[in-house]
Amino acid sequence: MRLQDLPGEPIMWVLIASELLVFAAGITAMAGVRLTDPAGFAAAQAQLHGWMAALNTAILVTSGFFAARAERACRRGDRRGARVGLALAALGGAGFLAVKAVEYAGDLRAGLGMESHPFFTFYYLLTGFHAAHVLFGIGVLALVAIRLRTEEVQAGAAFWHMVDLVWVLLLPPVYLLG
Amino acid sequence: MDLTRIWLILLGLTGATTALAFVPGPVAAAALLAVALFKARAILGGFLHLERGSGWWAAFVVPLTIWLVLIWGLHVI
Repeated sequence: MRLQDLPGEPIMWVLIASELLVFAAGITAMAGVRLTDPAGFAAAQAQLHGWMAALNTAILVTSGFFAARAERACRRGDRRGARVGLALAALGGAGFLAVKAVEYAGDLRAGLGMESHPFFTFYYLLTGFHAAHVLFGIGVLALVAIRLRTEEVQAGAAFWHMVDLVWVLLLPPVYLLG
Repeated sequence: MDLTRIWLILLGLTGATTALAFVPGPVAAAALLAVALFKARAILGGFLHLERGSGWWAAFVVPLTIWLVLIWGLHVI
């Protein structure tokens, strides 16, 4: 197992591993605190809109698909295809954030704030931190689309897939395991 | 692997997640987390190009699997 066996820049994998660890720690903490009030956590979670999270999963994996296509296009020298792929991936990210904004607005209108219940503290922290990564990722995709260097596009796409990966791991504990 | 195939697999697994969300109980919870693991494996192998069967593949997938088992355990206690 050598560092050079990793696809892309090793530093990108350090970032991916560290981000996974941070989110895993947050989710594990939530699962631990849930033990003090399982019924309260289940009741709080039941107020979320799971269908919006499912929609966002579909949006994000589709966006990841376009990022992967962009990376492949860039490698074969198809600059237009790479830019289109990156733009569609970023558009997917914007769509994800729009759905999240609607979801947060609905939650807040229903009086579900960060201090309503410990579950919502974790909910806003974990999904908010993830949304911040999506926002940052859109910026990364835009930046790598300017110069279109293969290594940079690969790194940008890898960051985007990490954001996608975190979301699929976040979904069941935060939204579904009542 | 073909990117379109990976994407369709991920969409299919998202559909499975949505269906399982309506089923209560520890078995359904385990199934939900197993689907999340399959999605993570698809992203790691298909989109992030981590070579299946390699040491790095195991370095990511084994801890991830153990962690999901831990989350399931905390859920069913």
